[in-house]
Amino acid sequence: MGATKLSGMQKQVLSLYRGFLRAARSKPATEDRKRIEMIVSTEFRKNSKEVDRKNFQYIEYLLRLGHKQLDQLKSPDMVSISSVKIN
Amino acid sequence: MALRTAILRHLRVPVTGSNQSQTGFLGSIRAFSSHDDHLSKQEVVDRVLDVVKCFPKVDPAKVTPEVHFQKDLGLDSLDTVEIVMAIEEEFKLEIPDKEADKIDSCPLAIEYVFNHPMSS
Repeated sequence: MGATKLSGMQKQVLSLYRGFLRAARSKPATEDRKRIEMIVSTEFRKNSKEVDRKNFQYIEYLLRLGHKQLDQLKSPDMVSISSVKIN
Repeated sequence: MALRTAILRHLRVPVTGSNQSQTGFLGSIRAFSSHDDHLSKQEVVDRVLDVVKCFPKVDPAKVTPEVHFQKDLGLDSLDTVEIVMAIEEEFKLEIPDKEADKIDSCPLAIEYVFNHPMSS
């Protein structure tokens, strides 16, 4: 993968990713922080492989969903997150 | 004339207040510049390279001050975000999105950190 100029949507995704990592960093316990980082990075990587990069509508939906979740994560009451696998 | 005085009455600006806040602002800048042990270029280079070498997906042998994260180290844009955030943490900076998006190589990271007055 060469160095390509990022599209507006890619920038939005990366900015959201950065937001999640910043939110993780703000949690007091290292253990929680590590877990949040793991879950977030797994989720972003999974979607980067599975989602068709031309499916703008779906990516926009994921961005909105992500921002909502990020707002919740930013709250100091929210200490950690967990993921559940549903098959 | 009555209108003029009426308008002037409404236009009064609290001068002392704005003056005070200005000195407060300048005072804080002085406070920042007072710890003036600015990093040397070599120190910035070494610490940036250390951060990149410690990144799990990177082969430390490949890391030089000239490498491009994606072209030379085979990283993707999500990895790049993680590396830039690790550099932020190392130098106690917060890089705004607009700047962070541009940093995609060691030379750019080194330049940004070296030119940033707050890096420590």
